[in-house]
Amino acid sequence: MAAARPLVTVQPLEADMATDSATTVHLPDVMKAPMRPDVVRFAHANLSKNKRQPYAVSKSAGHQTSAESWGTGRAVSRIPRVSGGGTHRAGQAAIGNMCRGGRMFAPTKIWRRWHRKVNVNLKRYAIVSAIAASAVPSLVLARGHRIESIPELPLVISDSAESVEKTSAALGVLKQIGAYSDAEKAKDSHAIRPGKGKMRNRRYINRKGPLIVYGTEGASLVKAFRNIPGVEIVNVERLNLLKLAPGGHLGRLVVWTKSAFEKLDSIYGSFEKPSEKKKGYVLPRAKMVNGDLSRIINSDEIQSVVRPIKKEVKRAPMKKNPLKNLNALLKLNPYAKTARRMALLAEAERVKSKEEKLERKRKPITKEEAAAIKAAGKSWYQTMISESDYAEFENFTKWLGVSQ
Amino acid sequence: MGVEEAKGGPVVPESVLKKQKRNEEWALAKKQDLEAAKKKRVENGKLIYKRAKLYAKEYDEKQMELIRLKREAKLKGGFYVDPEAKLLFIIRIRGINAMDPKSRKILQLLRLRQIFNGVFLKVNKATVNMLHRVEPYVTYGYPNLKSVRELIYKRGYGKLNKQRIALTDNSIIEQALGKHGIICMEDLIHEILTVGPHFKEANNFLWPFKLKAPLGGMKKKRNHYVEGGDAGNREVYINELIRRMN
Repeated sequence: MAAARPLVTVQPLEADMATDSATTVHLPDVMKAPMRPDVVRFAHANLSKNKRQPYAVSKSAGHQTSAESWGTGRAVSRIPRVSGGGTHRAGQAAIGNMCRGGRMFAPTKIWRRWHRKVNVNLKRYAIVSAIAASAVPSLVLARGHRIESIPELPLVISDSAESVEKTSAALGVLKQIGAYSDAEKAKDSHAIRPGKGKMRNRRYINRKGPLIVYGTEGASLVKAFRNIPGVEIVNVERLNLLKLAPGGHLGRLVVWTKSAFEKLDSIYGSFEKPSEKKKGYVLPRAKMVNGDLSRIINSDEIQSVVRPIKKEVKRAPMKKNPLKNLNALLKLNPYAKTARRMALLAEAERVKSKEEKLERKRKPITKEEAAAIKAAGKSWYQTMISESDYAEFENFTKWLGVSQ
Repeated sequence: MGVEEAKGGPVVPESVLKKQKRNEEWALAKKQDLEAAKKKRVENGKLIYKRAKLYAKEYDEKQMELIRLKREAKLKGGFYVDPEAKLLFIIRIRGINAMDPKSRKILQLLRLRQIFNGVFLKVNKATVNMLHRVEPYVTYGYPNLKSVRELIYKRGYGKLNKQRIALTDNSIIEQALGKHGIICMEDLIHEILTVGPHFKEANNFLWPFKLKAPLGGMKKKRNHYVEGGDAGNREVYINELIRRMN
């Protein structure tokens, strides 16, 4: 990942020497860290609770009476009532949360847990995500910054900006780098806050403009830029999540000075090399190195082992009864056709031969046939009445009782 | 991934080219598979025809043989005793409720989980003893060729991948029982009828038959067949019951 470190050009300002044309800096590995909006939202939600001031009602509110219940039998409710007499207040209900002038339900206490602890690693993860997000133009645009005229993201300007002393000069710097429209947007959005916050010392609101990050301690640019509405200044060694991701949303427009940009590498380290400033801290790794799912799916490695797309959904065919439906029968038993054909033919044969037999029987017999029958009967009778060695009666052994 | 321009223009995106090539390869493979399958089907068809013819002849022969033996015995004055049946068809005639656990388990083992479910069964000491224990809940007998054929053709479903699939095509039977040499309906019927070497696999492939309640009614479920009821072994008369229940 660190092999291809793209170059970021440092935007020159007018005060620069014209000799060093377009110096470039390597992109620090922080800008390639995974962007986790869920981590940032969590960290921001909890860290923003840390600047709160406690509020509570007075602990004696509502109890500064010697009220006592009148008890039953007096045709009034049993709520404690103010003792004494001679004034409106006497006999009025007191103390309960439902009573006028009584104490509220669950009076707020100052020992409410106002601040939240966030794990150090989580805080660092969130900051690293926010820095990475500030390098992505679509995220910065989505957050609402006017970046149409800035030359490059991440926006790095030369160190001569750190020695700017006058606010007018500061505005000029912003104009040169194209961040002026963003600052202008913040200035124009100065308005009175809707809601009760107005009367609670939070009268005005405006949008956030660019965030200037400087590298050297005690740079005079702090004083120059701090009166510009919307613009915030922060030292690179003390980056604040609440400024890098205002409202928990990633993508603040960040303007880096060259020394700040170069310091990022040593402050946050890289994916393998631990940071020098933060003890034992290594940049977090993303769950997926290549998050582009469609590219992965369409890659050769996957497409070569993928099975063909099944466009036609195969549905089960309707079961037809083969005993009734001839085609269904033939599908299962192709021999059935010839079998049935043979059966039909055999049936037709049988019918025909029966017809013929009946025909013959119903026809009167011819003289020759009648004579033949008579002669056969006569000869048989002759054999019966004559004594013969008729021994071929194996068929009759059963009832004749004579063995062969 | 390549410059997007009008399709058919000078630069076609690489992804489109890749997809085209892939689709062509798939189409080619599919066509080859189809042709091979078609050839195999034709060959199979011939084989099935021959086998079905063979079986038809075999059944006829058996019937003629039986008749011949009976006539011969009658002629000689003796009797022809049919060999003991090898195949049984069992139908469950009682419902789910009020059953003792042992009989319930035996009926489950026989795959008779619903009233009027029917299964084929091989006859051996084990099965006969099981049947004896569940006699009041089932009726059984010796099915003939017509019963077996009609049951398997009309109400035959196979167990494929634990699913009940209708036997609409011989390919279903081949898929499940091809490795035992049973590739068509006629093979299956023959294996069941003549309890063959792979009867177990063939029978288990057949899902238990779901028969309808008998047209014309039953005599009396609660009694044994011999006492005028329906339960127990009714030998040959199971065929008449199957005609009414199929």
